[in-house]
Amino acid sequence: MIGFKESPWILHYDASSCNGCDIETLACLTPLYDVERLGVINTGNPKHADIFLVTGAVNEQSKDVIKNIYHQLPEPKVVVAVGICACTGGIFRDCYNISGGVDSVIPVDVYVPGCAARPEAIIDGVVKALGVLEQKHLEMAALANCIDRVVYQRADRADAPEILALQKVAYQTEVELYGDDSLPPLQQTLEGLENDFDRHPAQEVSGLDAAAGRPPDEADRMVFIKAVVNGKIIGSVRCYAIGDTTHLRRMIVHPYFRGRGIGRRLLQEVEKAFPHSRRFEAKTGHRSKRGHFQLTKLGYRQFKTEPFTPAVTWCYFEKERTPQPHH
Amino acid sequence: MSPWLRLIIYLVAAPIVGGLLAGWDRRISARMQSRQGPPILQPFYDVFKLCQKEAIVVRRSQNFYLFFFLLLVIFTGGLFFAGSDLLLVVFALTLAAIFLVLGAYKASSPYSFIGAERELIQMMAYEPMILLTAVGMYMVADSFYVHDIAKHPALLVLTLPGIFVGFLYALEIKFRKSPFDLSSSHHAHQELVRGLTTEFSGRGLAMIEIAHWYENVFLLGWVYLFFASSPVLGILMALLVFGFVILVDNVFARLKWQAALRSAWAVTVVFGFGNIVVLSLLRGHPTPPPAAAVLPAALPAQTSAPATPTSDLPT
Repeated sequence: MIGFKESPWILHYDASSCNGCDIETLACLTPLYDVERLGVINTGNPKHADIFLVTGAVNEQSKDVIKNIYHQLPEPKVVVAVGICACTGGIFRDCYNISGGVDSVIPVDVYVPGCAARPEAIIDGVVKALGVLEQKHLEMAALANCIDRVVYQRADRADAPEILALQKVAYQTEVELYGDDSLPPLQQTLEGLENDFDRHPAQEVSGLDAAAGRPPDEADRMVFIKAVVNGKIIGSVRCYAIGDTTHLRRMIVHPYFRGRGIGRRLLQEVEKAFPHSRRFEAKTGHRSKRGHFQLTKLGYRQFKTEPFTPAVTWCYFEKERTPQPHH
Repeated sequence: MSPWLRLIIYLVAAPIVGGLLAGWDRRISARMQSRQGPPILQPFYDVFKLCQKEAIVVRRSQNFYLFFFLLLVIFTGGLFFAGSDLLLVVFALTLAAIFLVLGAYKASSPYSFIGAERELIQMMAYEPMILLTAVGMYMVADSFYVHDIAKHPALLVLTLPGIFVGFLYALEIKFRKSPFDLSSSHHAHQELVRGLTTEFSGRGLAMIEIAHWYENVFLLGWVYLFFASSPVLGILMALLVFGFVILVDNVFARLKWQAALRSAWAVTVVFGFGNIVVLSLLRGHPTPPPAAAVLPAALPAQTSAPATPTSDLPT
């Protein structure tokens, strides 16, 4: 496919440090190196860029800027960390205000070490990034083309790493909505998520079975449902029943696949997975209008709100199962 | 050649020619700066890539405006190459630019606001000159229709040298080239981000790019019209003018908007209006309009109207 390899538009940001790599990056544009012969344009606008080129270590001031810029780049995008400070924090790593390399804030695809990184090395890094960019594009296109063949299945423990990765990607939009990157879904560890597969929330609530030493009821186990395209998980929801109420938690859909009915199908799958439940309950943050819209469309209605953190207020939604009409 | 055939050739060939011209522009600019420069097909690669990128919009309607911008630019060129009325062409061109400005306003970002406002100022700067060009061509060829002007036996530039100079000045603004790249520029990152196009990405940006290709071909077509009686010279001059625009782009720094507006109007008055005044003095008094043609139709109505009541009067 022509396009991505021939036309990389770069956005260049200098996070901190000594500006050496910054100057070397601009040297790439000079007649001696002339990166424009590769189709490179140094744009000043994240919305036009494909490659996000960061120099310097990340400090408290540049942290938010980097995240902000990263979210404004349209997909597919690639991040190149230029210079040892951008790779690891370099000699500034132990400073009180430095959080480390660029990868301590956003995912980095290509690392170009050096102090300062030479223009030749930077051009090499950009060329390498082109390969990554094209691969990301192919993945995106392949996934988008088979959207009508989504499979909905129960997930198991082995899916935990993939679901966790998806969760971190999907919740990025929530981070932007609430301006808070300490949301619990982003803090969850792999271990924590794996343990979720063995949780029996009904038992945790009553505490009776455990006290009596009885083995937990298999029907109470937390259920993970996943939406799979081409063997890749693009959406998931977890749910558990307490009494005759099923609780829905953390419905996530990959950003590429939103607005295509996957979330709605996941909610319907939950209803199928708990045939004996009479009531379904979900909660979302107050600003997640997309979630509100989806739930209302499926017959849920909001019945209470509850403050959670200063940034987030929970909105609770419920739905009674309507009896199936007999034919 | 029939107008329809010309129209179809324009619709198909203009993006190809426009894209190649844009590629040459970048290549020649690079050579002027002693760089190697990108391949000639680079603008096509860029547009293909933009079409495959995710489209991020602030408001969905902004791309709707862009679509009309593209449509109207194509419409403008189509009217021109089909040989239609020059005034209509000018108005369609203005409307197209207005849609681009509306799109930028819709995105409600400070940078695209500045870009949109500067674009409006630029339109104020070049619009009078473009209109005077149409008027001047009418005075020489006695028709606003492009196909009549193209059939004029003499070189228009010989009688319209001032208008031609003024038109070149307006062209510099219209091409968004360096002394006048106020509203959106490849080089204006630091102060404007990308001005007018700041909030457009993916397919929207590709549409703007393609619209510029169509627009450039249309504008060079207008340059050709000054030399229409000798087609080879016309094409040669159109290419030469394009080269001149690139040269000016590389030689000059950007002007402030006040200077751009003042100088554009000064050029319009001195060269454009001056040329028209000289032309009307040389031509002497225009032939009186055939006003008599209206009278015979009115006369019977006047005579018959009072006739009926008088006959009914009792005597």
